[in-house]
Amino acid sequence: MSLTIKKLNKSFDNIHLFKDFNIEIEEHTITCILGPSGCGKTTLLNIISNSVQPDSGSFSGFDEKTLSYIFQEPRLLPWKTVRENIAFVTKNKSLNTDQGKLIDKYLQLVNLEEFADYFPNKLSGGMKQRVAIARAFSYPSDLILMDEPLKALDLKLKLNLISAFRKIWQNDRRTVIFVTHDIDEALLLGNEIYVFSKPPIYIKEKFTIDSKDRSLQNPEIIDLKNKIWEVMD
Amino acid sequence: MKSFFTKGRFISLISIIILLIIWKIASVIYKSELILPSPEHTLVSTIKLFTAKSFLIVIGYTISRGLIGFAFSFILGVGLGVWAGTNSNFNSFLKPILVTIRSVPVISLILLALIWFQVGLVPVFIGFLTMFPFICTNVIDGIRNVDKDLIEMATIYKVDKSSIIKEVYLPAITPFIFSGASSAMGIGWRAIIIGEVLSQPQFGIGTFMQSAQTYLLVNEVIAWTIIAVIISYAFEVIIRKIEHGIVIWK
Repeated sequence: MSLTIKKLNKSFDNIHLFKDFNIEIEEHTITCILGPSGCGKTTLLNIISNSVQPDSGSFSGFDEKTLSYIFQEPRLLPWKTVRENIAFVTKNKSLNTDQGKLIDKYLQLVNLEEFADYFPNKLSGGMKQRVAIARAFSYPSDLILMDEPLKALDLKLKLNLISAFRKIWQNDRRTVIFVTHDIDEALLLGNEIYVFSKPPIYIKEKFTIDSKDRSLQNPEIIDLKNKIWEVMD
Repeated sequence: MKSFFTKGRFISLISIIILLIIWKIASVIYKSELILPSPEHTLVSTIKLFTAKSFLIVIGYTISRGLIGFAFSFILGVGLGVWAGTNSNFNSFLKPILVTIRSVPVISLILLALIWFQVGLVPVFIGFLTMFPFICTNVIDGIRNVDKDLIEMATIYKVDKSSIIKEVYLPAITPFIFSGASSAMGIGWRAIIIGEVLSQPQFGIGTFMQSAQTYLLVNEVIAWTIIAVIISYAFEVIIRKIEHGIVIWK
């Protein structure tokens, strides 16, 4: 099964971001969209999440999907504790499981169970982003959109979060679309990598990563990294 | 436990002491208890007022006028402010009204109110008109300042509209409501006392100030002023305490 977008057109101020653009997203995998900053990757996520209307295009498979979104910033409500922040989006959503337990489970997976009753201002940037990840997974979604959520973090935190993310993701293998301009992030996290051009956007190349060993020292990953470097703008 | 005498408090204390010294020097120069009584005489008059039988009734009336005026401005200010903050058409409608109320001199309002209302209501009406625009404007600013990213997040996660208003907008504007309430009260007390001076209800700080002035009891005028300042300060402290109790996430 896959999600497809065909003949997508979108322009802003006479700049064609997308001109008859096509893409296919495999379900239950992590698809990375890699491209230069400001190339319109975020716009693609916003079109998928319905925050931005495309000029034209046909979409299949997206209609019945429920979305979670992990933004560049954590976007937590400062007046709610970690647990309340997650409950804010999950409450009243038809869930069979006990919500409190579900939230606890994901907080545990991101190693924040001790901080459940903390307000966001008591957490570091990396911890806040982990809350945002727990929120996205606690929400009963079929599709998780991620817009460079690791951008503001240092390398060590990035690596930590990526391994935490993959660990959680293994649980239920939700479809993930992850947008980034950082090759290392894409290599460590993605199952499939689309390299985008500058606008008007087309897909320069698609890479598939099968390797289980996700380290930047793995020769297979190094080889792939060099290949991606060659095609990237 | 934190020491009561922080550096800031110490400096404030020095400022008050300097003010008292200047007052004392001025009263020595004037050499007339009638025109400028000394600080210690004024203190005695203030204490006398505190212990007078009618004291509680007098300040009770002034405080209740203030609270009634405040309650009306608060309810209307928050209600209309939320409406104007979320609806640009209503905002355009409300804006000229707020600007007009704010720019009309308090004295014109009092003179008109004296014609329109019975005397006891005049200070309440004046208090309401001076406080309402502050609260309303602050609420509108607060709503304008709500982080659009949070609203977008809530919308993407399909949180219903009433939860967004209750759990995102209201907490976000709470600090603005409190700062509006605190500046409104600061201005409000002054307006209410002016209203009392001019409308002369049976009881009220303004009424007693006016009669003290008529009999040239300058020390009593100053004593009532000190009491008015204490009341205003006490409410400022109460508002800050309530804010601390509610805004616990900062």
